[in-house]
Amino acid sequence: MKPMLDCDAVMRQLWDYLDGELTADRMAAIREHMKVCDRCHPQAAFETQFLAALASARHEHSNPSELARRVRAALVARGFASA
Amino acid sequence: MLGNLLDDERFEQEALCWLPDVTRYAMSLAREEAGAEDLVQDTFLLACERWHQFEPGSQCRAWLFTICRNRFYRSHRRDERIVAADTPELEALAAATLHASARSSGLDEIFARTEVLEAIDAAIAALPATFRDVVLLVDVHDHAYEAAAVVLDVPIGTVRSRLFRARRLLQETLLVHARDAGIGTRAVAPSSEEAKA
Repeated sequence: MKPMLDCDAVMRQLWDYLDGELTADRMAAIREHMKVCDRCHPQAAFETQFLAALASARHEHSNPSELARRVRAALVARGFASA
Repeated sequence: MLGNLLDDERFEQEALCWLPDVTRYAMSLAREEAGAEDLVQDTFLLACERWHQFEPGSQCRAWLFTICRNRFYRSHRRDERIVAADTPELEALAAATLHASARSSGLDEIFARTEVLEAIDAAIAALPATFRDVVLLVDVHDHAYEAAAVVLDVPIGTVRSRLFRARRLLQETLLVHARDAGIGTRAVAPSSEEAKA
């Protein structure tokens, strides 16, 4: 059985973990650590909330279908056959 | 490629399906609709002209984002301020210190506060371009590190170090914003563990 990770190791890889950028084994090991660690879990919750806040900075165009129509029209005007 | 029906069909299936994503990315770069519209149109016209350069099987979304970003910086001066970044691991550990500071000020839930969410756009826009680029790609537009590295034409390690540094800069800015706005003034003594850190 593999030894549990210590908090320092988890903290060093917390961003990679939250971004899903680690190997499956490493992701599972950190997930297990989070379940039992009172120190790392609040940190992860804080950073997760931060990442969700950043994702909220994605803005929609007010009329994307009209923009798509204009892009397709511009492509057709250049000879594009399939738009 | 224009007029070649097979190529055009491939472009339709593989590139035009990303039009909504490219539009959102252009909105992030231009920060206003008229500019974003020009950018999206330029991106797809250029992508169509250069479709023969696209390698089948590679990441079309990242390829389109690369074109979009390059077109944007052709007409907008890039802020090249240099900000030193520590190693990704040290940046990650610094984030833990910042969290302890937020907790001690009663700001554990800071990133759910409307006042802070409203300040995020400005905080991202104020980042040096090197850091803003990577935050927009990974955090706002959900690229994996590898795809962001393709768009920015840098190694994955550079994406990580810039990203983690950018996140720390953003958190510091937003914590200052929250404190200036009078949020989280609860005086809480740091826990013994935090005090030792």
